[in-house]
Amino acid sequence: MPHLEIRNLTVSYEKNRPTLEQFSLGVEQGELVSLLGPSGCGKTTTLRSVAGFIQPDAGQILINGRDYTQLPPNRRDIGLVFQSYALFPHLTVFNNVAFGLRMRRIPKGEISERVTTALKMVGLEAFANRRPAQLSGGQQQRVALARATVIEPQVLLLDEPLSNLDARLRVDMRQEIRRLQQQLGITTLYVTHDQVEAMSISDRVVVMNQGEIEQIGAPERIFAAPETAFVADFMGFDNRFKAAVVSARTDKLQLHWGGDAIELRWRSRSGSPQPGARAEIFFRADNASLAAGPDALGLAGQVILHTFHGNELRYLVETEVGEFSILQDSAGQRFEPGAAVKVQPQPQKWIAIFEETGQ
Amino acid sequence: MVSRWMYTSLVILYCFLLGPFVIIFMASFGANATMAFPPQGFTLDWFANVFETSQFIDSFWISLQLALLSTIVSLIMGMPVAYALVRFQFTGSGLVETVFSAPILVPGLVIGFAMLNFFVLLGDMQVMTGLFIGHTAILFPYSVRVISASLRNLDPYVEDAAVSLGARRLRGFLLVVLPNMQAGIAAAFVLGFITSFNNVPVSLFLSGPGVTTLPVSMLSYLEYYFDPTIAALSTLLVAFTVVLVQSAERLLGLSQFV
Amino acid sequence: MSRRPNQTRTIVLLVSPAFIFVLVFFVLPLMFLLSQSVLPADGGFTLTGYVDFFQSRVSRIVYLRTLRLGLIVTGICVLMSYPAAFVLARMPARRRSFLMSLVILPLMTNAVARTFAWLIILGRRGMVNQTLLSLELVENPVRFIFTETAIVLGLTQLFLPLMVLPLVSAMENIPDDVLEAARSLGANRLITFARIVVPLSSDGLVLGATLVFTGSVTAFVTPAILGGSRLLLMSTLLRQEAVILFDQQAAAVVAVVMISTTLAVNLLLRFLRVRQV
Repeated sequence: MPHLEIRNLTVSYEKNRPTLEQFSLGVEQGELVSLLGPSGCGKTTTLRSVAGFIQPDAGQILINGRDYTQLPPNRRDIGLVFQSYALFPHLTVFNNVAFGLRMRRIPKGEISERVTTALKMVGLEAFANRRPAQLSGGQQQRVALARATVIEPQVLLLDEPLSNLDARLRVDMRQEIRRLQQQLGITTLYVTHDQVEAMSISDRVVVMNQGEIEQIGAPERIFAAPETAFVADFMGFDNRFKAAVVSARTDKLQLHWGGDAIELRWRSRSGSPQPGARAEIFFRADNASLAAGPDALGLAGQVILHTFHGNELRYLVETEVGEFSILQDSAGQRFEPGAAVKVQPQPQKWIAIFEETGQ
Repeated sequence: MVSRWMYTSLVILYCFLLGPFVIIFMASFGANATMAFPPQGFTLDWFANVFETSQFIDSFWISLQLALLSTIVSLIMGMPVAYALVRFQFTGSGLVETVFSAPILVPGLVIGFAMLNFFVLLGDMQVMTGLFIGHTAILFPYSVRVISASLRNLDPYVEDAAVSLGARRLRGFLLVVLPNMQAGIAAAFVLGFITSFNNVPVSLFLSGPGVTTLPVSMLSYLEYYFDPTIAALSTLLVAFTVVLVQSAERLLGLSQFV
Repeated sequence: MSRRPNQTRTIVLLVSPAFIFVLVFFVLPLMFLLSQSVLPADGGFTLTGYVDFFQSRVSRIVYLRTLRLGLIVTGICVLMSYPAAFVLARMPARRRSFLMSLVILPLMTNAVARTFAWLIILGRRGMVNQTLLSLELVENPVRFIFTETAIVLGLTQLFLPLMVLPLVSAMENIPDDVLEAARSLGANRLITFARIVVPLSSDGLVLGATLVFTGSVTAFVTPAILGGSRLLLMSTLLRQEAVILFDQQAAAVVAVVMISTTLAVNLLLRFLRVRQV
């Protein structure tokens, strides 16, 4: 039995416009699961329903098998970290962290002990008497974490906790959150719109779109093998094009690429591809290479421009099936704009997504 | 971008804004009773006269009580309105906003006149009650606006944070929202107090026998006497206001709410 | 914010005490006033009050004078405030906040005290007359009190802050970069001011104009002291009808005309502001 279970959750803000439709998810004890998706996909709504700030129209929230659906948020025993941190501006760091313990009528001595321990864990023991306004963004984030975890909640919820930090700090804080979460062994639901963040921090990732789950799985799996066009797009597959299926087997299909036939893995949620049907092909910029010369194989194209990225050059290449963005080692052969090239695939890393309705 | 003639205009503006205060100040120490300018000699007689005129002393206490009472009541009733307007989106919020800004749109003199006819002449209401009602009504727009502004400065999620940590809604409000509104409440209080304390138009009709506010009694004094007593009293009031406003500005940044 | 159960009940609970207070103690008396203007003491319904008002030469003169002086005061306030507000808005924050508190100060002092100063300045033996006499520009003191000039001066001094404040806060929001961009594209100072600053601060201008105009046409203290019964404005006329002539219906008509005027101006200018967006 999962530690946190969301069963058939349905939430609609306006009539006939569901934000969440029959959403179900289980999170195991000590697991960190990310809800990943663009804004408006329902990830924050899910989180706030678990926290109790949104009363769902249907469905249940269970923690440890106990039904939490009707429980008011102040009695849920859930730690919540807000995007804005929502620190209490008039209270010191110490009193911010102590707030939840005071609400639980913990004896004074124990409060000060637990707050001190929590502040030590996030490295802020020296800042106990500061006000939130006197702290940097990263420090405020740590206070928010300490405040949410010091109450030893059943479940920890984090709502875009890193979106207000600059890029470098985000990487550090990501590791820190993961370390703290594993140290405490706390069941965690993490909302983000940043796929890199979700990949790096999670045990499992839930990709959401328009109130529904597109794909659930381990980060590696979602990264390598998206099951829908939406996920592929969201996971940073830079290039996409449509192609006719030449032939198909249970897990592979064939299509034409230049003068050759190539074989790709395919995914589908509806039906299986038949010869002649069109599939959508996705590949990353670093999963193709460029070659020139009369003997080179591949799809013919012309270089439009290149941009320099340190170890790599990014080429924009125009072909008869579309424009592709392709990364090449900058130490290798250079192709100037206007040059005729061949685009050579790495078919084992390409994905064909076949959707009957998408034709 | 800023050129010299613009600075000149700034100087003219301040002369015009503050010059009259300098003149009142000088006149209140001048020895001649006929208000010739520049004043001759130096005397504190006019200040003594202020404190010996019972009309001023009585009406000062009336104004003080009235301003305190109506400011406090308008704050107590206006605060929940501001909270509802800032924290919730609801149908009819536009209507509520209009109703609470209406007392600013209607001329004070008309408000006083309407209340006189309805409550005092028709309803036989006590003079002080009428004044209290009139002043409270005209203060609502200020209370609601200033408190709303201070609420908007506070992250709305701090309340949710308090609740998620185990506080009930009301407790969360008292422990987390209210302490952060102190500056806004104090600013609204100062603004409301001054507005009520200085008001003439609303009080003019509603003042009655024996119950007159200080500005109204200054006005009626002017109808009979023309001597520097009013200048002396004005100097005292300006000094009082400067102290109040400057300390409020320093403590709370009053100007951001006006 | 989040959707919560019982939200409607909470809102009603929060809003209703003050709402009922305003309805009963503010809206109701105004409704009664409106009814007084059309329902004479001897019963029936009549618009004669309004017909009389607009047919009477005296009240027509008073009404037009009130509007005219309101416009003049607003115009002077705009001219005096615009460049000064620009200087204030471009100042370092600390100096600005000090100077702004000096703008607010007059607003926080009662109108009787502020108008009284003009009696000293403009009186028979006041500052201006003393100067004129000593320079031998005039032989006898000039009468300034009870003139339109005196009223305009008094009202301008009274309401100037209400123009400066919104203008400064509108101009504060114009980034320096925008002005520099205009200059770099070849605009001189005057053109930059006219083509960039003025349009970008028009919101503040319209708000300020609304406040100054409605303030001027409804002010009582200044016309009472500087105009007296010799030079009536709408407010002093209302007082005269109600207290001296004791004509309640006529007074109610004056009051309704005053409200209608201020409401009309507010709506018109609000419409202007919305259309610009």
